[in-house]
Amino acid sequence: MLIDIQGVRRVYRMGENEVAALQGVDLQIDNAEFITIMGPSGSGKSTLMHLLGCLDRPTAGRYILDGTAVETLADLEMSRLRNRKVGFVFQSFNLIPQLTVMENVELPLVYAGASREERRSRAQEVLAAVGLSRREAHRPTELSGGECQRVAIARSLVNRPPLLLADEPTGNLDSKTGTEIMNIFKNLHQSGTTLVLVTHDPEVAKWSERVVSMRDGRVERDTGNPRRTAVPAAAPGAGFGQWREEAEEA
Amino acid sequence: MDIREIVRTGAKDLVRHKLRTLLTMLGVIFGVAAVISMMSIGEGARRATMEQIRLLGTNNIRIKKIDRTAEQQENEATASEGLSWQDARAIDDRVPYAVAVSAIKFVDAGVFLGGKAPEGAKVVGVADCYDEMTNSPTSHGRFVAALDLRSAARICVLGSEIKRELFGIEEAVGKSIKIGEESFNVVGVMGQKNFKEGKTTAIKLRNINRDVYIPVTTALKRFTDDDFPEGIEEIAVQVDRAESVVPAAIAIRRILERGHYGVKDYEVLIPDELLAQSQRTQRIFNIVMGSIAALSLLVGGIGIMNIMLASVTERTKEIGIRRALGASERDIMGQFLNETMLISISGGLIGIVLGGGMALAINLFAKWDTVVSPVSVLVSFGISGTVGVVFGLYPARQAARKDPIVALRFE
Repeated sequence: MLIDIQGVRRVYRMGENEVAALQGVDLQIDNAEFITIMGPSGSGKSTLMHLLGCLDRPTAGRYILDGTAVETLADLEMSRLRNRKVGFVFQSFNLIPQLTVMENVELPLVYAGASREERRSRAQEVLAAVGLSRREAHRPTELSGGECQRVAIARSLVNRPPLLLADEPTGNLDSKTGTEIMNIFKNLHQSGTTLVLVTHDPEVAKWSERVVSMRDGRVERDTGNPRRTAVPAAAPGAGFGQWREEAEEA
Repeated sequence: MDIREIVRTGAKDLVRHKLRTLLTMLGVIFGVAAVISMMSIGEGARRATMEQIRLLGTNNIRIKKIDRTAEQQENEATASEGLSWQDARAIDDRVPYAVAVSAIKFVDAGVFLGGKAPEGAKVVGVADCYDEMTNSPTSHGRFVAALDLRSAARICVLGSEIKRELFGIEEAVGKSIKIGEESFNVVGVMGQKNFKEGKTTAIKLRNINRDVYIPVTTALKRFTDDDFPEGIEEIAVQVDRAESVVPAAIAIRRILERGHYGVKDYEVLIPDELLAQSQRTQRIFNIVMGSIAALSLLVGGIGIMNIMLASVTERTKEIGIRRALGASERDIMGQFLNETMLISISGGLIGIVLGGGMALAINLFAKWDTVVSPVSVLVSFGISGTVGVVFGLYPARQAARKDPIVALRFE
C-alpha cells in the first residue's frame, strides 16, 4: 500500500473561528492505482491533495506514505520525502519563468542533490519522453499551454517518484490538448506510476479506474480499487519507453 | 542542495537583474570605499609619524625654539631672548643621562661655487656628535671634528645632493666653496639618505641631503644675528638608553625653565610623547571616520534588506514552486541569504577597488600620505560579509517561513 490515511482532520484557524476543511478522512491507495478525487469547491479535495503531497500536516489522524508516517516529520525530512516520493502537476503549470525548460525540469534533482551530469541526462531523458527535446533551451513563456504542461509532467517525473499528484491538469487547456495530456497520464499509469488526479470535471474522471467523491470535508463515495487483489506493484518508471514512443509519434 | 549550486543559482539571478543588483550594491560599495580610503589616510599618517620618530632617533630628545609673536614679547616683561648656545652648554654639563649634545643653528646664507648656487641648500651649524646622533655617516672625508668646534674652523660637510650639484662626479673633499661671503673648505660629503616629505609634522622635516654642515661655533661667529648673538634654533640631546629619555627630559625642562625665566619660548620633543600624541590624534580620527563609514555601511545594509524584502514578495510564487518540488525551509533560506551575501561581498570587492582608487587620488591631489594596508582590505571584506549576513537573515527567514500552499496560490 502506497498511501494509508486514517481519521485525518485538518482544521484552519481564521481569526476566532475554526474551519474544518477535512473532518475525518480514511483513504487507502495501492501502488499503480489511477484515482480521481472529485468534489465541488470547498469539499476539501485541495486540502487533501496538499496533505497527500506533504505540503501540509494533518491536525489529527495518521498519514503513512510509502511506509513513512508523515504527520510526525519535521520540515527538512518532510521536504526530502516530498522531493523523492511526490511529483506535482498543477493547473497553471507553475514553471519558473526565469529558468529555461531544462533548468525547470532539473529543479527537483537539484534539491535531491544529484550531480550536474546526472541532472542533465535525466532531464533530457524525461523531456524526450514528453516529446520536447528540441525545446530544452526555451523559456516557458515561449511555449504553448500544452507544451508547458508537458514540461511540468517531465519535471514531476524526473526524480522517479512513486506518486504523481495532478491538480486540474487540463483546466487551462483546450479539449484537444487536454486529451493529449490525459493520454500521457494513461501511459504513465500503465507503466506503473500511482496517479492521483484532483478535478471537478467528470469527463477527466472517466480516464481513471477509481473515483473518490468528497463533500464537506468527508469522503462521500469511493468506487474502490477494481484490481485490489490482482496487480502486483510494478517498479515506478518501468515500461517508460513504451509510452515514450507513442508520445513522440504524437 | 550543495553550496556551489546555491551560489550558481544566486549569481544567475543577480546577473538577470543587473541594474537592480548594482543599485542594491551601491550602499555597500560606498561604505567599503569610505572605510578603505579613511583607513589609508590613517595608516599614511601613522607611517609618517613613525618615520619622524625614526629620524629623530628613539634615544634622542630635541629642543626647538618657538618663535613668539610681537604681542607675546611685549606682554612678557622679563623676556628671555630665546634658545641659546648657553642652554646647550648647560644641558651638556648638568643632565647626567646626556651622552651627546649638539646645538643646531640654521644659517641664512647661500652656498656658491663659481656660478653655481644650488636652490634649497640649508647651511646648518652642528656639533661634532651630530652625525652619530642622527645616524648619518659621511661617505667621503670626515664630519665636523672637536678641533673644528674649538677653533671655529671654516670647514664644511656637504649633503649628497649639494655635492652632486656643485661638483658632479668630481672629488669635492679638499676643494673650497663659498657660504655667504666666506670661503669654506670641504672636508667631507654625507651619505645619501632616503627622504620622504612629511605632511603632518611636529618636527619640520627637511631634505637632509641638501644640508651643508659647518661647526656651530663657526656659525655663531661668522653669521652672527645682531639681535641675539648666542641664538640657536634647536638642541639635539642623545641619552644613554631609552629608559633615560623621560628623566632626562624632566631635567632639561627644569634647566630651561630657570634659564628662560619661565618663558615658554622653546618646546621639548620626546619620541614617546610624539608617538602618544599622534596616537591620540589618530584615535580621534579613527573614531570619527569609523562612525561615518559604519553609518554608510548601515545605510547600505538597510538598502539591501529593503530590496531583498521586495524581492521575497515578488518571488513568492517561485518560493512556493520550489517548496513543492522538495526545497526545505533551509534551502529557501540559503538561497536568499546567499543572494544577499553575493551582493554585499561583490559590493565589498568593488568598494575595495574604489577605495584604493580614492586613496590614490587623495595622495595625488591632497598630497596626503595614504597607505592601503592588507589589514584594511581584510577588515572591509569582513564587514561587507557581515553586512550581508546581518541584513540578509531577516528577508531570508521571511522567505523560508512562507506557507508553501499560500505561496503556490500567489499571483
